[in-house]
Amino acid sequence: MDAKAFSYLFSRSYFWPSVGNSVLSALVSTVISIAIAYLLAWSIHRTDIKGKAIWNVVLVLPMLIPSISHGTGLIMLFGNNGVITNLFHTTSSIYGFSGVVIGSVMYSFPVAFLMISDTLKYQDYAPYAAAKVLGIPPHRQFTGITAPYLKKPMISVLFAVFTMIITDYGVPLSVGGHFKTLPVILYEEAVGQLNYSVGSVVGLILLIPAVITFLFDLFNKDDSKSSTVSQEFVIEHKTRNSVIAYTTCIVVTLFTAMVFGVFYLQALTKHYPLDMRFSFDNFLKTFDKGGLEYLVNSLLISLFTAVVGVVVSFILAYLTAREKSRFAKVLHLMTITSLAIPGLVLGLSYVIVFKSTFFYGTIIILVMVNIVHFVASPYLMLYNAMGKINDNIEDVGSILGIPRMRIIGRVILPQCKFTILEAMSYFFVNSMMTISAVSFLAGLGNKPLALLINQFEAYSMVECAAVVAIMIFTVNFIVKCVVGIIKRRGEK
Amino acid sequence: MESLTKEKLKIENLCKTFEDGKGAVSSASFTVNNGEFLSILGPSGCGKTTILRMLIGLIPPTSGSIYKDGEDITHFPPSKRGMGIVFQNYALFNNMTVLENVEYALKVKKETKATARETALEYIEKMGLIEHKDKKPNELSGGQQQRVAIARTLVLKPDIILFDEPMSALDIATRLTLRAELKALQKEFAITMIYITHDQEEAFSMSDRIMVMDKSVIVQIGTPEEILSSPATEYVQSFVVDNLKAKVDALSKFVGLSHDSNKK
Repeated sequence: MDAKAFSYLFSRSYFWPSVGNSVLSALVSTVISIAIAYLLAWSIHRTDIKGKAIWNVVLVLPMLIPSISHGTGLIMLFGNNGVITNLFHTTSSIYGFSGVVIGSVMYSFPVAFLMISDTLKYQDYAPYAAAKVLGIPPHRQFTGITAPYLKKPMISVLFAVFTMIITDYGVPLSVGGHFKTLPVILYEEAVGQLNYSVGSVVGLILLIPAVITFLFDLFNKDDSKSSTVSQEFVIEHKTRNSVIAYTTCIVVTLFTAMVFGVFYLQALTKHYPLDMRFSFDNFLKTFDKGGLEYLVNSLLISLFTAVVGVVVSFILAYLTAREKSRFAKVLHLMTITSLAIPGLVLGLSYVIVFKSTFFYGTIIILVMVNIVHFVASPYLMLYNAMGKINDNIEDVGSILGIPRMRIIGRVILPQCKFTILEAMSYFFVNSMMTISAVSFLAGLGNKPLALLINQFEAYSMVECAAVVAIMIFTVNFIVKCVVGIIKRRGEK
Repeated sequence: MESLTKEKLKIENLCKTFEDGKGAVSSASFTVNNGEFLSILGPSGCGKTTILRMLIGLIPPTSGSIYKDGEDITHFPPSKRGMGIVFQNYALFNNMTVLENVEYALKVKKETKATARETALEYIEKMGLIEHKDKKPNELSGGQQQRVAIARTLVLKPDIILFDEPMSALDIATRLTLRAELKALQKEFAITMIYITHDQEEAFSMSDRIMVMDKSVIVQIGTPEEILSSPATEYVQSFVVDNLKAKVDALSKFVGLSHDSNKK
């Protein structure tokens, strides 16, 4: 990275418009995404609609496929040759701003939904009960109790979603057309033209929102969750609320179903829309282009990332949550800092640092970058789980003459087993679908399946891109189901 | 009880300093007799827990020495001191059953499985927990969890047991039962007990001697009677004696009333 790269970039005619595009589309997408997510979380936690267990699964399905697939889905629905476009004989206007916004919303709302759900789940009902006794009307309850409670967590969600969207290149690359954003430029410069110094400069710019988010989160410590719930939420039946809740859930589900449906439609017909006969040709074509080898790569990468990643996060969490030294605080901060680094930036820096090492170009480097990229969330899960275990356990061990490793293996670890499982599935699912950091580091021998989508899109082979999306979705869905079943059995 | 006068523990000039100053101990010297029940009484932050943790070896003293049966154990690891401890929050192994909790340390010590189980069951029986032996700690009441913690400690046959405010989380009825049980255990096993509390009533109802602490310093050591009749400082007078008297005054009215009504 040098001054030349800066001046090169700043003198490009596309640079400033792309900054504007990035900020504008990310802002609009964030607002819509959070509005939808809040409505959904409210529907699940504040109304008495039926089938909550099912909604909880269905509403997060879009999280299981790469961002770029959401762009693909939109093109297959609303693009020039899209299913909806053909059905209504309209012209397409999905390429550009509107496509980027819809795609970004699709891939980010489940994350926001989970975060807001978590906040609503742990809200105490006691203030509302008191308000009711005092005869305070609902709208005053909202401004007086709900809004102040939600303020801090909602700001956290807002920053998280904004960062997630503004650093993503998948959606704008596939559906943006001439509407270019900063991550797309980074991708094109660094992956397309191997122009790493210019890529680094863009990466530096992309770090800005991430760092602001991170610093803000650090000082905006959300203490609402730490308070104990003295009273479970009491949900009264209100027909109006149920209608709103059902409508929101159904509309979102239908839209999700449309995206997933079109993947299956395109993947399983002989040649959409000319030959609508059922066939596995597209699967065979995808396999012929290396789909199966890349699937094996992805499974290996994800498995190793899950196993090694969970060991690393367990050790980190043990050191910071159970060994309260000064070193632990530094370690804690360092680990959660990795949250702030966008995958693109991480990938690029790995290229620069590890280019001449022996494991460059193998799956080892992809496993490494994935662990660093995703470690913060599993680490925090384990940190919280271990923090809840009695402080004196290690002391008891040393007094009773039980070696530390036994205490960890027989007492600490068994009490975190479901969290460990969650952490592993987090690593696995994200490694299956990530296209950011790995895009710089993958060569012929170690390419993960998700990156095949970029390749197919570049050659306009959307039906094969759909097959890949289905493959990734299927693997991730199976993993999630297995984890869900094991947890359910264990809790009985 | 002839051994009661023999010194079990001798603590000489024990000091501990912390960077934030909280819970420090400055030059504590005292002895604990064989089979004695000694309470350490003081407000939170006075250093009483720090003394306890130094006695059992969880934290090293800044200076000073600890002798047990005449042997210098200041630098012994916790497991080699022949002491047990019961924490305020019990610190049970929540993923194990009562039986597993009690026998685990024995198993680690390479006792055969059969003897470990036999010994564990014996102590579980003694603590009145036999019908709960296959339950997990979270299925038990606070008092029962407390008993598991005691059994887990007793099974290793320590000759000193330390208690770190073990009853502060329990309701008053359970406390009264457990107090009696502890005294009975102490007699049965002839164990020396050191009991930390901030509750004057608890200290006075259980102890052979009481050690009153304030701001890192031992202010007075004596039998309950000695402390009541001749408090060493103004602090002992107000924190211990006056407090107790206030309680007695408040209650005596009612006790008096019931006496009167009984007479009639």
